[in-house]
Amino acid sequence: MALRYVLMAATVVLFVVAGAIFVGRFWTIYQVMKKSRSTIRTDQIGKRLISTIEQVFAHKRMLKVRYSGVLHLFIFSGFVVLLIDVVGSIGQIFSPGFSIGPILGMIVDIWVGLVLIGVAMAVYQRAVIKPERYHGSDETDGYIILSMITCIVIGIVVHESFYPYAAGPIFGIKSVALSPMEFLAYGLSRIWLSLGWTGPTAASIGYVVGYTMDILMIWVFLAYLPYSKHLHVFLAVPNIFVRKMSPHGELVVPPVPEEGIAIRSFRDLSWKDVLDLYTCTECGRCQAVCPAHAAGQPLSPKMVILELREALKKELSGEPPIPLAGGVVTQEELWACTTCGACMEACPVFIEHVPKIVGMRAALLEDGEIDKTAQKVLVGWDRQGNSFGQPLKKRPGWTKGLEVPIKDARKEPVDWLWFVGDFASYDPRIQDLTRIVARLLQRADVDFGILYEGESNSGNDALRIGEFGLFEALAQKNLEKLQEAEYNMIFTTDPHSLNALKNEYGKYGFHRPVKHYTEAFLDLIDQGKFQLKPLGIRATYHDPCYLGRWNRIFDAPRELMKRVGVDLVEMPRHGENSFCCGAGGGRIWMEEVGIKERPADQRIREALTLEGVTHFVVACPKDVAMFSAAVASTGNEGRLKVVDMAELLAEAAGLGVPDTLVVAR
Amino acid sequence: MRILVLSKSVPDLVEELALDEDSGELLHDDMTYVPSEWDDHALEEALLLKDEVGAEVTVLAVDTGDVDNMLFTALAKGADHAVKLTGDFDLATSNRKRAQAIANYLRDNPFDLVLSGVQAIDDIDGQIPAMVAGLLEWPHASVVTEVSIQGDQIHFRQEYGGGLQAELAAQTPLVLGIQAARKPPRYASVAKVRQMMKSSTVDEVDASADAVPELEIRRFFKPVAAGHAEMIEGEPDEVADRIITILKERKLVRG
Ligand SMILES: Cc1cc2nc3c(=O)[nH]c(=O)nc-3n(C[C@H](O)[C@H](O)[C@H](O)COP(=O)(O)OP(=O)(O)OC[C@H]3O[C@@H](n4cnc5c(N)ncnc54)[C@H](O)[C@@H]3O)c2cc1C
Ligand code: SF4
Ligand code: SF4
Repeated sequence: MALRYVLMAATVVLFVVAGAIFVGRFWTIYQVMKKSRSTIRTDQIGKRLISTIEQVFAHKRMLKVRYSGVLHLFIFSGFVVLLIDVVGSIGQIFSPGFSIGPILGMIVDIWVGLVLIGVAMAVYQRAVIKPERYHGSDETDGYIILSMITCIVIGIVVHESFYPYAAGPIFGIKSVALSPMEFLAYGLSRIWLSLGWTGPTAASIGYVVGYTMDILMIWVFLAYLPYSKHLHVFLAVPNIFVRKMSPHGELVVPPVPEEGIAIRSFRDLSWKDVLDLYTCTECGRCQAVCPAHAAGQPLSPKMVILELREALKKELSGEPPIPLAGGVVTQEELWACTTCGACMEACPVFIEHVPKIVGMRAALLEDGEIDKTAQKVLVGWDRQGNSFGQPLKKRPGWTKGLEVPIKDARKEPVDWLWFVGDFASYDPRIQDLTRIVARLLQRADVDFGILYEGESNSGNDALRIGEFGLFEALAQKNLEKLQEAEYNMIFTTDPHSLNALKNEYGKYGFHRPVKHYTEAFLDLIDQGKFQLKPLGIRATYHDPCYLGRWNRIFDAPRELMKRVGVDLVEMPRHGENSFCCGAGGGRIWMEEVGIKERPADQRIREALTLEGVTHFVVACPKDVAMFSAAVASTGNEGRLKVVDMAELLAEAAGLGVPDTLVVAR
Repeated sequence: MRILVLSKSVPDLVEELALDEDSGELLHDDMTYVPSEWDDHALEEALLLKDEVGAEVTVLAVDTGDVDNMLFTALAKGADHAVKLTGDFDLATSNRKRAQAIANYLRDNPFDLVLSGVQAIDDIDGQIPAMVAGLLEWPHASVVTEVSIQGDQIHFRQEYGGGLQAELAAQTPLVLGIQAARKPPRYASVAKVRQMMKSSTVDEVDASADAVPELEIRRFFKPVAAGHAEMIEGEPDEVADRIITILKERKLVRG
């Protein structure tokens, strides 16, 4: 009987100690969050709830990596079942005779089995499969946690299996029989019987060992968790709930616009950013999909999060703060990011890497540090509104080759306002394509116009380089013209401009319909505006990051290809899992230091693995440039042709594609 | 150490040059003006010196119109003060007159070191640093790189023909024309420039200069192609002999 009181006392004392450590830790985190920037994450409650349930209980993102997802589902569901066991086991100690009953008991035993399978799979993955994504993660912590979980679930069965024999000596109640439904505990208890370990001493020892392994270890676990990456056990659910919602493509809204977006210290992070740091599970899924990492550059989105977390921990322990941008996270890491968003798409706990990276870039920029070629581009945007260092006057220069002039939307109302963008306007390799788009619109009798010299770069890339002020200046210039013009819809071929117009200009009150040319042309086809002859080619399609991942436009380009008779073969990484061409986030203008294999070259290799695919279809002017270069530099001109959507449509509509086009078939 | 950096705005060559059809003169008002690239290097070198030894950096422009943005940009990069010399100046004001105004300012406001870009793309004559130094009778060197402050001396490098480099030292006060800074000029973010416009001021100093000797411009014209070059073929010795013969024929060499 005395033993019961010892167990009761140990349970309570350890719980209080562990609880205090646990609460203390959370208090510290809360304090950091309180001092950080504000962000609104309680809108769209319904959508948030549904998405949380999908992600937590259905493991939607987790299961994208099948093996890990399944093993995690086993272990995760074990945690839910653990609660039943905690109630049962502690109930037993505090109220002798208490039982959760054979059915719940069976459920517990089933999950003990599943958890053990999950743990075995996890150990196999860590020790034998060794995925690259774990590189840089704290492996020891992983093993410690797995051992603790194993200890706990074994403890559950052990103390339960001794319960029939220990009920008398410890609880002073008549011996109780275990139901065979609790098959694991029942089976073990039969073994103890055959070993003769059923006497009062043996049974008491067995029970106490089992109880210690179970409940007391849970308390130790509770105290250890907040100091390990397994804090996600508690933070993942809230972090998923407060995830970034639409507009998804809006990078970040500075709470105080005049203060900009620069992140220099932990106070400049938003409270969600702080929560992100503690929630990271070190799973490395973000690292595995990162184009910069794959190219051999010194960036891993996982390491960015871990470096920040480590620095925050050190700062909280009283060490002098180190500047985040260029200190905790190096300049090379920060400038390597293409802002493709693959990391955010892959992260099972919805950590937001890109706003942090761009915020730190903004801090570097404020100190005048930036790649020199990119600096010239920023200056060019500021002075001439384009990245080509060309006069503003030449922006509409591409229209000169057209038979029918284009309306000036500054002077007369139009149905569609075409926002052309820098590359489509100035890049001599792409101007031919731009003219094809114009001819297609003219063929379909669309009433459209452009802003001529009134258009400036949209600022999407300036913002992602970290130049919030320049983005604002460019946005204001465009908004002024857009407000004066009369039109029903904005049309653009450029996903980067599309993103700015659709998602970034909203904060200045601009909410007009914006369509990508793939969507708009699809509408025109469906209205019967083109006579199409099927092309009969086998092609693959590359989802541009700012069309697909950031704006969720996946279907229109695919439908369009179907309409023009293209047999689409998907690359392994497509749709939301598309692999960046390497040009985004200003990377297209930066030096390629330390690159082992360019992302665009890797992408072309990926396309070449597809049988019988002769064409690589793109839907972004920058992609035309990037992938044409990649096909050439990998020496695959004979095997794969880069074509733009507009070219396909023009071909199918019998418009004729000029031979001068670099991407011409 | 007080450093004065001279800065000038020049036509933006990205745009086509706007020329008066009759006189051939540059139509200043039709051009966009941007800070001279070499002056950016001079400022960068000054800011690097400030980072190293804690100098106080003032940036100065002659008020030829819209120079405020250029001065605020310099402040955003880290200059401590900005000065605008006001008076009877415009974009066509000659370097001689500008140099006079700057020299007058320097007589009243002591500085140890004056840095300017080695030249500017408008005249490409590289005269401002030399004229300022000459008017003040201060030492001067141009086409300079790698300036450092060592005690009360300024050390710097100068490049000569034939791949020679000299490391020179001079006493302050001193005027240097900077060929290139040690690092590419830093970037000033739009937000920071805007913030400077709100939080700092440009000191306006009246510098109505006395009459100075001016160049008399007879006419502006585009270079006219006259005749064609004769390419001399053959072995180096034969080519050299032919050149000497030609020079002698045209009485360009003696003896
Ligand atoms: C490293 C370097 C790089 C340059 N790069 C460029 C460039 O890329 N583009 C460009 O346009 N310009 C460049 N220049 C400048 C260009 O070389 C000069 O502008 C040009 O050489 C000036 O020619 P000059 O005959 O007026 O003077 P100098 O070449 O200086 O010649 C002066 C003349 O006087 C003679 N002389 C000197 N002292 C005496 C004396 N005591 N008695 C008699 N004769 C004497 C010399 O022998 C020489 O004949 C560069 C100069 C240097 C040093
Ligand atoms: S946005 Fe893309 S490039 Fe940047 S860290 Fe994430 S995955 Fe890597
Ligand atoms: S940030 Fe997300 S994906 Fe990356 S390691 Fe952490 S939890 Fe995994």
